[in-house]
Amino acid sequence: MIIMKLKGKHVWLALLIVITIAGIYAYREYNRKPADLSNVASQSSTTADSLVMLFEKDELKANALYLGKAIDVTGVIAEITNQKDTIINVTLGKKDDMHRVSCLMDVQHINDVKTYKESDMIKLRGICNGYLMDVELNRCVVIK
Amino acid sequence: MKKSICILIVLAIGIHLVTAQKKYFCKTAKISFYSKAPLEDIESHNTQVLTAFDAITGQIEFAVLIKGFEFEKAKMQEHFNEEYIESDKYPKALFLGTLKDPGQLTLDKDGVYKVQVIGSLTLHGVTKPQNAEAIFIVKNAIVNATAEFNVAVADYNIKIPALVADKVSKSVKVVVNVPSYQPR
Repeated sequence: MIIMKLKGKHVWLALLIVITIAGIYAYREYNRKPADLSNVASQSSTTADSLVMLFEKDELKANALYLGKAIDVTGVIAEITNQKDTIINVTLGKKDDMHRVSCLMDVQHINDVKTYKESDMIKLRGICNGYLMDVELNRCVVIK
Repeated sequence: MKKSICILIVLAIGIHLVTAQKKYFCKTAKISFYSKAPLEDIESHNTQVLTAFDAITGQIEFAVLIKGFEFEKAKMQEHFNEEYIESDKYPKALFLGTLKDPGQLTLDKDGVYKVQVIGSLTLHGVTKPQNAEAIFIVKNAIVNATAEFNVAVADYNIKIPALVADKVSKSVKVVVNVPSYQPR
């Protein structure tokens, strides 16, 4: 009888622990922020010119390779646009190129790009979102 | 005779330059959407929107990459891309429109211009008519434009899972903001 009671208690205790762990996991998962890419390994590494060329040549193939993935892109800064220090966009490529790589910086890492200027070489990690006029990356961080 | 030809050439070049200056574009326009519902409010922004505008014909276009919409919560972003809008299959959204009366907009004169835009929105592989009221603000040769409209998710075959169907808004408010149209 005593053994049965103990077993019953253990079952309840185990259930309580499982429910608590599941609750904590669900809460943390629900509130999880998008990953900081400086802590995420890149899935591919390329140059700005190669990336643009690939998207120009075969957008479907390029999407299959890069869409939604964290990639490192190295290139020369053609332009930096800064909207009130909250939105900084770094464009990689040549100034007169029609198609370039447009990299929207992660708000948490805006200061890292402020030491760079046009014509500097830079390596950025960002999520590839596809191709409009430029190949577009967002949540970008500087890789040193 | 030679003088007349020269004048004509100069005039032609002048007209071409004026016309050329009537085409504008911006690569850093912003589209936000808001959805208020009992389960949770959803808000997302994309600041890499491409837009082109022809002040002579009144044609206006917007193109946006769906994966570029950023959410505060990662799970929300995953659900949006994978379950609702299927961004791997439909990576872009497109608006093609025309100003109802392009003549009422004078971009070389400071002012606030309210205009009606008539067009179509392609989203999730579906194209539907979409009209909106837009406001163009011209100040010191900087042209800024904003617009707001509502989109019914059912119109674009966006399916809301049955489990949350009663708790998620069926209409989404879309806000467009072009910080500065540049001459093309």
